[in-house]
Amino acid sequence: MNGPTILETTNLNLWYGQKHALIDISLGIPKNKVTALIGPSGCGKSTLLRCFNRMNDLIDSSRINGEILFNGNSIRDSNVDVYTIREKIGMVFQRPNPFPKSIYENVAYGPRIHGVSDKKELDRIAEESLKGAALWDEVKDRLHEPALSLSGGQQQRLCIARSLAVGPEVILMDEPCSALDPIATAKIEDLIIRLTQQYTVVIVTHNMQQAARASDYTGFMYLGKLVEFDKTTKIFEDPGEELTENYITGRFG
Amino acid sequence: MAKGYSIRARCRNFGWPRDPGTAETGRPAVGASRRLIDRAVSKLLFIAALAAIVAVFFIIAFLLRDGYQIVLETGLLNFLAGMEWNPTGQNPSYGVFPLITGTILVMALAMVIAVPLSIGSAVFIAEIASPRTKSVIKPAIELLAGIPSVVYGFFGLILLTDWIRVAFDQPSGSSWLAGSILLAIMAIPTITSVAEDAISSVPREFKEGSLALGATHWQTIRRVIVPGALSGISAAIILGMGRAIGETMAVLMVTGNAAVIPDPLYDVFSPVRTLTGTLGIEMGEVAFGSTHYHALFGVAVVLLFITLAINSLARFIITRIQRTQGTARPTRSGRVKAAIRRVTPYRAITGAASRITHAASAPFGRLLRPRTSQRCAFLLVSLSVAIVLVILGVILFEIIVNGAGAITWEFLTGSPKDLGRAGGIFPAIVGTFYLVGGALAIALPLGIATAIYLIEYTTATPLTRSIRAAVDLLNGTPSIVFGLFGFAFLVLFLGFGVSLITGQITLGLMILPTIIRTTEEALRSIPGSLREGSYALGATKWQTIWRVVLPPALPGILTGAILSIGRAAGETAPIMFTAAIFSTRFLPSSLTEPVMALPYHLFVLTTTVPGAATQSYGTAFVLLLLVLTIYLAAILVRRRYSQATVI
Repeated sequence: MNGPTILETTNLNLWYGQKHALIDISLGIPKNKVTALIGPSGCGKSTLLRCFNRMNDLIDSSRINGEILFNGNSIRDSNVDVYTIREKIGMVFQRPNPFPKSIYENVAYGPRIHGVSDKKELDRIAEESLKGAALWDEVKDRLHEPALSLSGGQQQRLCIARSLAVGPEVILMDEPCSALDPIATAKIEDLIIRLTQQYTVVIVTHNMQQAARASDYTGFMYLGKLVEFDKTTKIFEDPGEELTENYITGRFG
Repeated sequence: MAKGYSIRARCRNFGWPRDPGTAETGRPAVGASRRLIDRAVSKLLFIAALAAIVAVFFIIAFLLRDGYQIVLETGLLNFLAGMEWNPTGQNPSYGVFPLITGTILVMALAMVIAVPLSIGSAVFIAEIASPRTKSVIKPAIELLAGIPSVVYGFFGLILLTDWIRVAFDQPSGSSWLAGSILLAIMAIPTITSVAEDAISSVPREFKEGSLALGATHWQTIRRVIVPGALSGISAAIILGMGRAIGETMAVLMVTGNAAVIPDPLYDVFSPVRTLTGTLGIEMGEVAFGSTHYHALFGVAVVLLFITLAINSLARFIITRIQRTQGTARPTRSGRVKAAIRRVTPYRAITGAASRITHAASAPFGRLLRPRTSQRCAFLLVSLSVAIVLVILGVILFEIIVNGAGAITWEFLTGSPKDLGRAGGIFPAIVGTFYLVGGALAIALPLGIATAIYLIEYTTATPLTRSIRAAVDLLNGTPSIVFGLFGFAFLVLFLGFGVSLITGQITLGLMILPTIIRTTEEALRSIPGSLREGSYALGATKWQTIWRVVLPPALPGILTGAILSIGRAAGETAPIMFTAAIFSTRFLPSSLTEPVMALPYHLFVLTTTVPGAATQSYGTAFVLLLLVLTIYLAAILVRRRYSQATVI
């Protein structure tokens, strides 16, 4: 693997109740790159994603062991503040979930809860985040209208802007385009590629073209295991495992 | 690059985990303090929830404990199956069988009258009325659900019993029939508006699918829409039954109150006495700790068990209907869901509901062409709406026309004179505000905190399930039972006496379950994805609740609170023996003094003071105006809310 990694897991195992959802996952997420996780439904890709910002904490029946490092520090230490982790490692969900507030308030929410109260500061953060999410030009004249009045694609970019506003280093995206039409999807993919100038992106996707188009690295998961992890070009052109090849060529999944 | 960096710099990362050395220095001290707040809030909520839950279980335990005494004193069989209720005779007897029979008879006949009219009205409003008609009739009927029962009782006593006496040539109009008609009138708005919600929320696609096959509108209503809404309609009927069983004042004022079983059993002109009416009549005169006292608690426990039976039967029926209809359930409005969770009927009645709706149209279906049958059915449905509106119109007209005339400056600002025959009702108006304000101050914080704790901080365990079951039980418990609890525990046992504070606590306990329930519903309606979105940004639990969950839930919580205010303002039964006094010139100067209250004032004027008709009408008018204003506010809040959330 070339370049530094920002997130690393070693022998990560996770159970939901009796179900062994992640089995011995060891991988490193390269910094300032897009990493895609692909695999059939239920293979554990979203679960793995939710480990990185400890969203699985919210699910009572989940049990986890193994190591997860962020910039070399374990995020599972008991003295680590889970809120700070989520501030550093943002997340965008499958369906756009803007808060039922104005566009501006959606973006300002994150900084506010982390203690920013100065109006000018908030304005600047809002503008920069919305620009960063390529939404500013479309909404700059209607910042105080309800976020729910935006289209689905705009809402999803608003959710990206919302997570940019707290200043993350990593953005996790859980099938961010699955509820969107092709044009909105293309915009988000463009955005994802541009985001890597400053951020590391990990994206879970069902859409193999999307993984091929938008990612630098790809991990293929199957039945809770990481089958193969490599550069996207390598995975799609010359996969090392037969299972990967079968999946990519559409023979199952 | 520079842009991204500046975003980060502006947020003043405190550097975890890159440079832990600068942690918490560069920005407001939110990191540690918000965690502290988060922990403190969860403790606080836990304490509030604990207090409310303890209160709920304490009430139930208290009633059961004293109710059990009568079983020890007379034996279970003698109590439940005893044919004579005569606690003040030479040989006192405590058989509640005639009371149970009376309760069931009054309720059953009321449902026979109310259910067809209500469902007809619901179908009319949901399916047939034009949007404009609907926008008038729907809120009007919802508004009528808020009329205090003592106002209905007043109307029943003045007009209905007289009408029955004359029209059917009976010696007295105070009868089973009068009670049932009155209860039917009271239940119609409740049943109609919940059933209408259920019918309206049947997905459009079902209707379009049927119409696309060439079915007439009526065929679609009868075969697709009403069956699709059946669980909601059952819930509505059960809710109506609950209201009918729990009603005290109106029934007490018109049924004649003789503890006899009608002979023959279908003699609707016979006087009857209900369980609630018995509590309302006898509670005030009973000696603490006597057998009679225990017998009244026994009556309360019987009411508790009836409520429990209705609740569980309803849940059973509704889950069965839902199971046979598959998982593709139409989404229901919060109120219908609340109703479903809350109430439950006898199975025969749900069966009857569907049979009635089907029977109403079946003959036409076979004998007539679809279009003719549609015309006949629509005529019947419109007729039921017309009947409902006329009845309710007559009541309102009677009270408004006669009441408005009684309103003078002196009436609104003066003290009563000559047993209320002259003077004004100012102390009663103020007393009502005191009572309601105190009840809210007790129930609102406790109820909302409890709901937040239950929804946001607990998962479904046997413990939370039993808490919910207890809350539901009290939510459906007749208000007079709260009156009995307040009287026995607060007035007699704790020695608070008949006082403002006793009334406030009693009313507060009465509305507590409603507030917990409606708040829970409102919180539940906020999608989990919003909470996740907030957590993913690093928000704490309390930040998420306070900033993301509560704001959109607020209208729902507010509606529940406003409806509780309306209920607390209009209730007579819980304050009758705990707080209210009939005539005083003075406002209470401390919490330990009794107060006047509008509903109780109206009750006494109507039942015991001859020659105070004008004052009665005036009091009824003021009470009606007060409560309807409160309900109107709730409807407006809800309407604004539903517009605001249309996406």
